[in-house]
Amino acid sequence: MAGTVSDVREISGSDMISALHLAQQAPVILGPESGSTSATDTAAYYARIEQLMLACLRTGDDQSAHTCLNRLSLRFGPSNERIMGLRGLYEEATAKDQAALEKCLQEYDHTLSQSPVNVPILKRRVALLRSLNRPTDAISALIQLLDAIPTDAEAWCELADLYQTQGLGAQAIFSLEEALLIAPNSWNIHARLGELLYITSTDGDAPRLLGKSVQHFSRSIELCDDYLRGFYGLTLASTRMLENNYGQPQTLERLKAFALHQLGEIVKTRSVDDQHWASSRSELIAAKELLNRFPLKV
Amino acid sequence: MAIQGAEQTILRDPALFYWILFPISIVMILTGILRHYATVMMNNPPKSAATLAESRERLALLRGVNLRNNACSVLDREAFEVRKNYMVTGFRSGAFLKDPNNRGQPPANPMTDPAGMEAMMGMLKGNMMMMIPQTLIMSWINAFFSGFVILKLPFPLTIRFKSMLQSGVMTRDLDVQWVSSLSWYFLNLMGLQSVFGFILGSDNAANQMAQQMGMANPAAMVNPLQPGQDPDKLYLSEAENLEVMEHFCILDGVEERILQNFAPAGI
Repeated sequence: MAGTVSDVREISGSDMISALHLAQQAPVILGPESGSTSATDTAAYYARIEQLMLACLRTGDDQSAHTCLNRLSLRFGPSNERIMGLRGLYEEATAKDQAALEKCLQEYDHTLSQSPVNVPILKRRVALLRSLNRPTDAISALIQLLDAIPTDAEAWCELADLYQTQGLGAQAIFSLEEALLIAPNSWNIHARLGELLYITSTDGDAPRLLGKSVQHFSRSIELCDDYLRGFYGLTLASTRMLENNYGQPQTLERLKAFALHQLGEIVKTRSVDDQHWASSRSELIAAKELLNRFPLKV
Repeated sequence: MAIQGAEQTILRDPALFYWILFPISIVMILTGILRHYATVMMNNPPKSAATLAESRERLALLRGVNLRNNACSVLDREAFEVRKNYMVTGFRSGAFLKDPNNRGQPPANPMTDPAGMEAMMGMLKGNMMMMIPQTLIMSWINAFFSGFVILKLPFPLTIRFKSMLQSGVMTRDLDVQWVSSLSWYFLNLMGLQSVFGFILGSDNAANQMAQQMGMANPAAMVNPLQPGQDPDKLYLSEAENLEVMEHFCILDGVEERILQNFAPAGI
């Protein structure tokens, strides 16, 4: 059982540890040049190659990443939009200095002048502007993108993140709400929105924002009943509400006690099964620290 | 009228089986496979939007629909009202249109619009792919095997099936169990779906059902607008839908709900 779970996690490659695992398997997955037999010519195989490429780039195995990219562009052609995006990503990741990044940007602009709705390149451009430390440009580029494609939850989330780094809380909240309108059942976005509301709730409108924050954390728990971040945020938000005497103290006390209790349970079970939850160890440590701050009433 | 109870016997040359039943079935399967690959080859994905404005025109409608469907699980009243007003105003004023100046004019003739033309060609090609092989095979069967009785079903059927199983054989008294060659063709045409599913995979293009269900493409750039449809009209009706929407929010009372549903007793 543990074996299959870890296999699945290695495939995902979404966090550093599993990305490392996946990248280490690169020689096996890429193997000797086998050509595209019908057995390997499946969508799942190419999705795996794409993930492997990203994992290799993150772990510094540029050679394997290049092999992956070549194999993908051999199959789908270099003019495929997604391949163009991946190639741009590769160029950015292997760029040596600022000048090389600037060159990437010019290349993107050139591509976009020919095909203005090349979504992967549009997104790469935003990301590049961000890594070039030009957040204002990135925001305006992203707004332009969202004006044309308002149904892209990923882009809305990125916009929220950008706004938040610029200290524009209200705008960030608006963007995340838009993302939630597209994916209303994603508990992670609910929790993230709760976090944003909690962070922004320092000024005059605090009671309302904190109340909404508690609601969104509660909703994320309702959607996923062992979501650590949801419980963590619920504890913090309800504590702050209690401290400032907002809302109904009775319900909030119960919510806080409930969240702390669940956090304790989660910490207990996940500490045992350490390997499985290796990727979220930092969250676990933060939860332990929070539990120490609020000793459980036994 | 056939004599009830008495078994009808027809002496059939066993060669009928090898030279008619078999060839028809094989040809039908092969045509299906060929059609699958021809469709795959000639199928071109629906064109994605060429400009940002065009993309917005397509997706603004989806945004309105998303707002209408999902507002209750995300937004409180204030946020909802702001968004609703924005969307309704945008829809009404035509701010999301590709070129707002063309508003209210009759939609361009799809025959002259190159994009519409392309879509029509696509449909035409799909239909041709079905029509031509069917016509050819049916005339082949009619020319060579018309009037043959080639098969006896091992189970009795009611008289209603006569027209289905004995087309091309004008014999009133023949028992319904006997199947003519033309009918065998029709049975193959209708009944080979699962065979194609087995050979080509479940989402094959030989599958006529999939053809009839319309080319639902899970591409990222979905286009809710049919060619020749006036986006302005759709916008106006969507604005109306939004206007009459009654707002409620499932976040109200979520705290009590999770306490009731998830909290262990004693908290």
